[in-house]
Amino acid sequence: MSAHRAPIRRFSKMILVYILALLATAFFAFPIFWMITASLKSDQSITTYPPVWVFAPTLQNYVKLVEELGIMKMFINSAVIVGLSTCLAMVCGTLAAYALARFDIRNKQLIAFEVLSIRMLPPIVSVVPMFILARWLGVFDTYWLLIAAYALSGLPFVVWVMRVFIQDIPQSIEEAALIDGCSRLEAFWRVMLPLLLPGLAATMVIVFMFAWNEFLLASMLTSNAAKTLPVIAANTLNAKSIAWGMASAAGVIMSLPVVVLVLLMQRYLVRGLTLGAVKG
Amino acid sequence: MTDSISTAKVGGDKAQRAGERRAGLLLLTPAFVLMNVVGFFPMVYSLYISLTDYNPSHGGIARFVGLGNYAKAFFDLQYWHALGLTFVFVTLSVTSSLILAVLLSLLFNMRYPGFFLLRTIILIPMLITPIAVGIVWRVMMMPDLGVLNYILTVIGLQPQLWTSSSSTALLSIVLVDIWQWTPFMFLIVFAGISSLPKSPFEAAAIDGAGAIRVFFSITLPLLRPVIVIATLLRIVDAFRTYDAAFIMTRGGPDFATDLVSVYLQRVNFRVFDLGYGSALSWITLVILTVIILIFTKLSGFTRIISEKEGR
Repeated sequence: MSAHRAPIRRFSKMILVYILALLATAFFAFPIFWMITASLKSDQSITTYPPVWVFAPTLQNYVKLVEELGIMKMFINSAVIVGLSTCLAMVCGTLAAYALARFDIRNKQLIAFEVLSIRMLPPIVSVVPMFILARWLGVFDTYWLLIAAYALSGLPFVVWVMRVFIQDIPQSIEEAALIDGCSRLEAFWRVMLPLLLPGLAATMVIVFMFAWNEFLLASMLTSNAAKTLPVIAANTLNAKSIAWGMASAAGVIMSLPVVVLVLLMQRYLVRGLTLGAVKG
Repeated sequence: MTDSISTAKVGGDKAQRAGERRAGLLLLTPAFVLMNVVGFFPMVYSLYISLTDYNPSHGGIARFVGLGNYAKAFFDLQYWHALGLTFVFVTLSVTSSLILAVLLSLLFNMRYPGFFLLRTIILIPMLITPIAVGIVWRVMMMPDLGVLNYILTVIGLQPQLWTSSSSTALLSIVLVDIWQWTPFMFLIVFAGISSLPKSPFEAAAIDGAGAIRVFFSITLPLLRPVIVIATLLRIVDAFRTYDAAFIMTRGGPDFATDLVSVYLQRVNFRVFDLGYGSALSWITLVILTVIILIFTKLSGFTRIISEKEGR
């Protein structure tokens, strides 16, 4: 009797699991679907009720973003600021991680936790002194200010994640290179770096993501010349008549690079996000 | 994990070669400069500003007022209201997304065909720019035209006012936060569940333990380190929530969503009361630090980390 019913039970359990999994996925996917479709709707069809599900897609929102708001300029601003700050954080952070992983340094732990404390610092707290000092130094609304700020906020990720990646590479590999006559620098460049590349790429994606999506510092420390994408997207809602279509299109444009990059680098995502504490 | 760290530790001592005594410090220098010039110096400067009445819109002369700003903050009910709201927001959002993440991890750990694709889709919300998240949820939550109310009426429920009513506004932004950050918790908890050892579960199966018993006596205790780390990171981030609240409500209606970061933004950049704003910032920072310390103490976080560090 039970031998007959076991496959049926297993089958109905499987159906139930699939239904739950699909429901959960729908909850997380629906707003994204809605953002993409809203960006392809005309403003009339966004504000019709009941909502339209089938409509003639139009690219007019994207065209307006480029022509009326000049979003290309902000895209370039974002790319330059985030690109340079990510590189800066990667270089400074990887050097520090190498030092912490391989050298005897006094108060190693203390230094590591000092770096970590930056991760805890809320930007709303650091933005005020940065604002005052930036105006005083004349770097307000320039690339340099945001580059420095984002490099700093990326630093704890790079130091902690790269430290774990470096520790995972056996010391003996590097020592072999040193015995073969490489200098310390050559050993790092020729032996360690190739092995660290996946880790570096994964960390870079995380740092890129946080800087690219950052809004608070960008909105307070820029006024015009160095505006980034999230700032201009927020501005589309400030106008008297809110341009929902344009706002959604801006949302799609700014989210796309991060989604693509991170999904390509999914493998080390957990390790990166937990600053190396959890292995993915 | 522990293996690789302990070998690295032994190697770390050997790595030091003659003439390399300063090399380590030299390598630390760029990070050290970045940290102090961009990080700690502005914070110390902010401590100084907090002792003055600096306001650039009043001519920008900073007069020393001692602890006046801190005394003023003590009686600033609006600030304590904002802080209280932030506590409620963080507690609701972090506990719900933790519970959801654990349930999702158990579900997806069944590993049926196609689940990898679904898991990847579930990751996407945490990658969306928070400003874009605010925009799309504001579109969906429009009380008269939004798709959420349409869905509610179709399945026979009452339409809601969402962010337009002071009684549901906070819950609405909690919902948005849960939507965006449950994937983050899920990603980490799932990684934890996938790497659990098999043997305790086999032993439990032999002993005939039920699924619920297994979950509470084996799965959850084994997952604890991973959950603690994910929760700590989430608390830190939820505490600073600004973007979506700024886009969706700006603290309204009737200050129902006036989170600390939204209130601080108003003090600092609407009325430019930077001296007072700096004092509030420092109070907030101290409170956040205390919360984190209490959490790390209660959760055994320091023990987890020092075990991982293996020293």
